[in-house]
Amino acid sequence: MAYRYHEKEGDDEKMKKWLWCMILLVLLLYGCAQTNILERIGLTTLIGYDVGKEKKMQTTAVIREVNPEFQSKVDVITTEDNTSKGNRMEVNRRVSKKVMIGQMRVILFGEALAEEGLHYYIDASLENASVNNGVYTAIVKDQVAPLLEYDYQNIEDIGQHIYRLLEQNIQQEYMISSMLHEVGRDYYAVGRDMAMPIIEKEEELIKLSGIALFKDGKMVSTLPPPDSFYVKVIRDTFKSGIYETTLQSEDLPSILQKKTDDTMTVAFDAIRSKRTMTLVDAKNPEFDLTIKLKARVLEVSPSFDQSHRKSVEALEKAIQHKLTKELARVIAHSQKVESDVFGFGEEYRSHVRHAELTKEKWHSLYKNMKVNIHVDFVILRNGVFE
Amino acid sequence: MKIPPKEMFNAHLLFFVMHGAQIGVGVQGFQRIIYQDAHQDAWISVLLAGIATHIVTFFMIRTLEMYGSNDLYGIHQDIFGRWIGNVFNVIYVLYCFIAFFSVLRNYIEVIQAWIFPNIGEWFLASTLLLIIIYAFTAGLRVMVGVSFFSVILSLWLVLMLGFPLKFASVNNLLPILETDFRSILKGAHSMTFTIIGFEILMVIYPFVQDKKQVSKYAHLSLLATTTIYVAVMVVSLMYYSGGEIQRTVWATLTLFSFISFPFIERFEFIVVCFWMLIIIPNLCLYAWAAYRGTIRLINISSTKFIWLFALLIFLGTLVVQTRFQINGMDTKLSRAAFYIVFLYPILLWLIVIMRKKVMMKK
Repeated sequence: MAYRYHEKEGDDEKMKKWLWCMILLVLLLYGCAQTNILERIGLTTLIGYDVGKEKKMQTTAVIREVNPEFQSKVDVITTEDNTSKGNRMEVNRRVSKKVMIGQMRVILFGEALAEEGLHYYIDASLENASVNNGVYTAIVKDQVAPLLEYDYQNIEDIGQHIYRLLEQNIQQEYMISSMLHEVGRDYYAVGRDMAMPIIEKEEELIKLSGIALFKDGKMVSTLPPPDSFYVKVIRDTFKSGIYETTLQSEDLPSILQKKTDDTMTVAFDAIRSKRTMTLVDAKNPEFDLTIKLKARVLEVSPSFDQSHRKSVEALEKAIQHKLTKELARVIAHSQKVESDVFGFGEEYRSHVRHAELTKEKWHSLYKNMKVNIHVDFVILRNGVFE
Repeated sequence: MKIPPKEMFNAHLLFFVMHGAQIGVGVQGFQRIIYQDAHQDAWISVLLAGIATHIVTFFMIRTLEMYGSNDLYGIHQDIFGRWIGNVFNVIYVLYCFIAFFSVLRNYIEVIQAWIFPNIGEWFLASTLLLIIIYAFTAGLRVMVGVSFFSVILSLWLVLMLGFPLKFASVNNLLPILETDFRSILKGAHSMTFTIIGFEILMVIYPFVQDKKQVSKYAHLSLLATTTIYVAVMVVSLMYYSGGEIQRTVWATLTLFSFISFPFIERFEFIVVCFWMLIIIPNLCLYAWAAYRGTIRLINISSTKFIWLFALLIFLGTLVVQTRFQINGMDTKLSRAAFYIVFLYPILLWLIVIMRKKVMMKK
């Protein structure tokens, strides 16, 4: 018995020795990993691509450098090379810190480049493990470099500024969402095309100025910012959107027209929407598009008596009519440029067996596609003051 | 074969052992391989592969029950005699060795591709191997415990599948059964590499205390694995579009690539690191299975065996360097595993049955 006890003691001792060895090894091996100390790296927060003048691409990187003593500094560096990695090297040649892209939030593309095609850039971004798939993408009207290089009076960190601009607009559902993942997904989907917000410089400000429509990764057309509501309502759903429109006098029912007053502007918020697409005819693609919206009236001018059921119903009707008209216009426009940003093709592919759909085939079908739009608009309530 | 009771473990732990041995590196990127053949019906392929594991396990248990308390190596020696039986044993040991190597090398590749492109294979291999040696020298019961914790501690990862659902589109799954049945079966065949691991039952069976419960827990663990695989596949199919899924190398990891929290910018980095916990049972159990086979062939102590084993694996990681080599190895292993893991146990059962009949007649 005593002997056995002794043996166990020895085992414990052995174990302890082992443990120490392991700890020592881990400590020793820890040094092998490459370390990135915050003070010694430059964080690229935004990157913009343009068509290069001499070489293939021109990139503009917004790099934030953290200094322990001073305020952090933001550098905007434009370089030209044949690959984005080559450009990174070019950037590194100009800064004192190691440039990393793990904190990148936004990728911008110049208009000319987008018209040439973004396939390469999307692939390169998806391929790089250091690029988060949640980064936002956007198109810059004209060129990226001048927009980033300009010394804005009130904008300290241009990278962060553009990121916040996109983020808040996308999260509040004022703008269509364009995360790298979504863009890549739409690019590689058979029956869907990409869409991205467009930003432009307006004197001392940067603003969202529309939506870019793509066909096969090439930008083919744009839509003005108010149309982003219509695009979004067909593309996906709203949880809390805002919509504002002006009803022309011919759209207005007589009950709402006090005088022969010409127009009526209305604004809604807290919009919840649900869309359903159904394919009714597969041969010559025909879809039923039903959009159900529920909203709250926020502003009406000129005001009318909202306590009357009849007049509220009349307003609902008028809005439905207006929405149908606008949606038809937006769809017709996208059909003309053969850019299916709504995903009608996905609906077609998923409901027609053995369609063997290709992007090319769908684009030719899409052109002559018919859509029957039904809008169901319900006013839930108005504000706290009638 | 007599196993001392203190080396045995409860039958319910078999659930964790088999589940832990199954889920490993394959699930990180099996989507594109299955999608190639089965397209949007890939999840049906996964389901079929899961059903196949149930059938094979049923026959495995039947065979093992006939012998009462013997493992695959013992059965080989009993059926084919010492010499031919040992040839089979060598093949199985080699299979375990290659499977171990493949798991290790694939995981190292993931770390290098995602987080540390500059760290050498030798470094990652030696760190991981040291952990395995540490667990191995402590004995089977510790390895079973490792499997238990590996499964329990990684359960939360399943919940993370909720995040990508934000971008999910059910349309991507439609139309169901558009792909012809042959292609779906081909997809199920491609699942081999991802779904193997449950063959550990053939070796570990004598160590289970309550043999009557084996069947219940074995099938439960297979069910759990299949459920997780189908869930991952369905979410991936809904999240990615067709062209994208085919190009994404580790689709399961990329699923998490857009998730970021205020305190951690890149969530998938956590997942990649955490995955080490998931592959440790894989490695431990394959090493142990190889050890059980080796002691039938030569007289070697467990410590000596694992150091030698680790050394050979380590040398292997120095040879296999490129993605091309790794993929080639995976395909070859997968092809071999289909015969060794899926077809052979059924064949073995037939042989054992026939042999029994012949013996009865005599």
